[in-house]
Amino acid sequence: MNEYDVIIIGAGNGGLASAATLAELDKRVLVFEKHNIPGGCGTSFRRGRFEFEVALHQLSSMGTPEKPGPLREQFRRYGIESEIEWIEIKELFRVNFPDGTGVSIPADRKACEAYLMEQFPAEKDAILRYFETVYAFADESAKFADASAKSTGEPGALKKAVMKLLFPKMYPTLARYGLKSTQEVLDEFFTSPKLQLALSAYWCFMGMPPERFPWSILAKCTNIYMEDKPFYLRGTSMMMNQAIMESIRRMGGEVRLNLGVKKLLLESGKAVGVVDDNGMEYRAKKIVSNISPLATYGALLEPEEVPAVAREYLKPYTVGISAITCFIGLDCTPEEIGFTTSFTLNYESFDANKDFQDAYKLLPEHDPLVATCYTVDDPAVSPKGTSIITAGTLKYGTEWEKLSPEQYYEMKYEAGRRIVARLEAMYPGFTSHIEEMEIATPLTHMRYLNHPGGAIYGYEQDLLNSVFFFPAESKIPNLEFASGWVNACGFGPNYLFADKLAKRIAREV
Amino acid sequence: MGKTLKDTLLGTLVHGEEVLEDIRVLRKVSQDKITEGNEADARIAPLHAKVLHLVVSAIIDTGKNAKVIRLSGTEGYLPPFEAGQYINLFTEIDGVRTSRPYSISSSPRQRGYYEITVARSACGFVSDYLLDEVKVGDAFTANGPAGVFRYQPVFHSKKSLFLAGGSGITPFLSMTREVLEAHLDRDIVLLYGCRNEQAALYHEELGAYAEAYPDFRYHLVISDNVSGWTGETGFLDGAHITRLVPDYKERTCYICGPQVMNEFCQRELEALGVPEKRIRRELFGACKNIEKEAGWPAELTGGEVFHVTVGNRTIEALANEPILVALERAGIRVNVCCRSGECSLCRVKLVAGKVFLSKGMMLRKADEQYGYIHSCKAYPISDVSILL
Repeated sequence: MNEYDVIIIGAGNGGLASAATLAELDKRVLVFEKHNIPGGCGTSFRRGRFEFEVALHQLSSMGTPEKPGPLREQFRRYGIESEIEWIEIKELFRVNFPDGTGVSIPADRKACEAYLMEQFPAEKDAILRYFETVYAFADESAKFADASAKSTGEPGALKKAVMKLLFPKMYPTLARYGLKSTQEVLDEFFTSPKLQLALSAYWCFMGMPPERFPWSILAKCTNIYMEDKPFYLRGTSMMMNQAIMESIRRMGGEVRLNLGVKKLLLESGKAVGVVDDNGMEYRAKKIVSNISPLATYGALLEPEEVPAVAREYLKPYTVGISAITCFIGLDCTPEEIGFTTSFTLNYESFDANKDFQDAYKLLPEHDPLVATCYTVDDPAVSPKGTSIITAGTLKYGTEWEKLSPEQYYEMKYEAGRRIVARLEAMYPGFTSHIEEMEIATPLTHMRYLNHPGGAIYGYEQDLLNSVFFFPAESKIPNLEFASGWVNACGFGPNYLFADKLAKRIAREV
Repeated sequence: MGKTLKDTLLGTLVHGEEVLEDIRVLRKVSQDKITEGNEADARIAPLHAKVLHLVVSAIIDTGKNAKVIRLSGTEGYLPPFEAGQYINLFTEIDGVRTSRPYSISSSPRQRGYYEITVARSACGFVSDYLLDEVKVGDAFTANGPAGVFRYQPVFHSKKSLFLAGGSGITPFLSMTREVLEAHLDRDIVLLYGCRNEQAALYHEELGAYAEAYPDFRYHLVISDNVSGWTGETGFLDGAHITRLVPDYKERTCYICGPQVMNEFCQRELEALGVPEKRIRRELFGACKNIEKEAGWPAELTGGEVFHVTVGNRTIEALANEPILVALERAGIRVNVCCRSGECSLCRVKLVAGKVFLSKGMMLRKADEQYGYIHSCKAYPISDVSILL
């Protein structure tokens, strides 16, 4: 009765996509989700006339219906592509500088090159070389990933030596830039701080400042968004995740909401099943954990059951950043207050790395401010004549964890007040239009995501924790990980990662 | 042992050897980060406990067919709350587990206990129990404190207009106590609509506050025809507001009271030109007499009994009772908190059949598309089948 091919713990992006792919491949799957709704980070909430998106800014890898990207193809397989109204976003982002000027980046390589060359004529050649390098990097990475996927096992010493010699010749851009930080690469190409800030804005999607943000992630982000276009959808990310959940059920899978897992069952060191919050036992050939590896080992196993190799393996990884976000419903249109690009990054100075240091402090100070107005690309996102803006700063949870509970609400409102003051300075009259507003702090994220530090991107997405070093390996046979903690965090990357994982699992069960 | 292929190749990258060395060092010096149990849960519990374990530490009869029930934490500690928030109190009465949301009436500065004020109501399954059966020492569980009916300092006006009806006075009591006792820089006018002076909860306390604090003004508006009453009369409406609170346009207005009063006051404020952003409303509990709500199918009296199928069980449910209540009566556990259509914890999927959705249900777009409803404010108007 309680036997499955695969049990999935958590209906976040990774859990849902792995379950859908497994169900599509006729595997018997069961998903446990302790919340009352599916989606994990990909969720929404209601206040007054508004429904607020919590996590998604720009969905990657969708491509257009004519030239579908890998994610659109995956959603076609799930039968949900046509259930959702996808909204193509025309501009990648706008960066606003402290001197009142700004740069808006079109979601098209040629248009972007032309625009930047016009804005920064002195760096014309560098701009063209830079995009050449971005595209060459993406191309070589894809080729190398294909080649690695085909290889089997560890080669002998001789073959290794040959590959060592050949690698830099076959993948010169990858070898040169694969382990450089964003700042190092931008310094190599450009002198204008404005141009550097204009091209590095996606650092905030991973929560690492340019000097710590792997350029390889930036390059892939830039390439993917320009080629496959950024998308949003009607009904928030909740719509997408609910659609995947319905698809799982349609394909014969089971999803249990309001029911968490409290124990991972091991036999002879292998994962064989789980126990739910009510004490009911379930068995499966494979268990996919969509919660953090830390919580999987720490909360679902007895300390003596945790393999020493798992402790050793996870040691160098650092829990990442959280955020303070204000979810704001305005009683006016974006035009009325001067919002023209949906996704904006707003600087207090021309030194992003220095300003980012304030992320370690309790309250927003000089922190770069991310503000997204969803109404710009889709006026139907809220009632006619209103708009939705989410604005905030990245923040580490450390200082928030030190607050006594009595200080919490005061500090939370102070954080909100500071963010609104920044918006008021940029968009005069802003405050008088606020109809609804909710503030999320690192502790709010901790509460709903159950992540240590209130981390929103899992581990630090820096050179030591990410790209080539994601802790995707499980140290318990028949246990697998599917969350953003073990791969490039983000909706698109996570759905694609889970799909690949599920296909491998399907061959093994 | 030689290097792995991965490390061999990474070593050929610019910075490769440095990065690999960094990681080797980190591995050596870092601490084990796998903690025992769920670290995030434990850290967040002092602010947002999953379940509150409460014990009745005092019961105070107000002499007005209402009692103040003082609840302390079994372990001594209670999470802080914002004035205006509620707790959802679980009860087990005659074998039926249910719950009711109660606004906390004590001040948030009072950290030792929460007080709720329970008034007698016409067919109050739970309120009768709390008023007649509960005694000091009884234990309860609750969730919360929750809710967004509160002063939001970032965009609400420092000047407030409180519009209260009947037992809807309770969140305002907490808000007023906090502002006055802590001398906060605020200005409050409270208009309290009640049938008569005798029914007006905390009338004396509020009157005393008004005398002691210039930043707090209070008017009781009574609707019964009572001889000798020299104060305000009639239903709390736009005329009272314009006359008693001439600066109402500078204020953020808060409404809490029975659904009829709540909606009436909202319309009155709108008619006076108060924009939506200045009107905050607290809806508590399911509507009484649902069959009188606009859109209710004319052919149904509300007394019909329909079948609700949940998995392999089929239970009976009255048309004029929320599906949630029918589920609770049948002993089926459903997650629940606000019981007012807002929080979505009691969300279920409607697989077949028809339901009447009461006003104020805050569904997400995805709910509408895929047939999810909040069972606390959804009424069966045919045989229905749902999925938990």
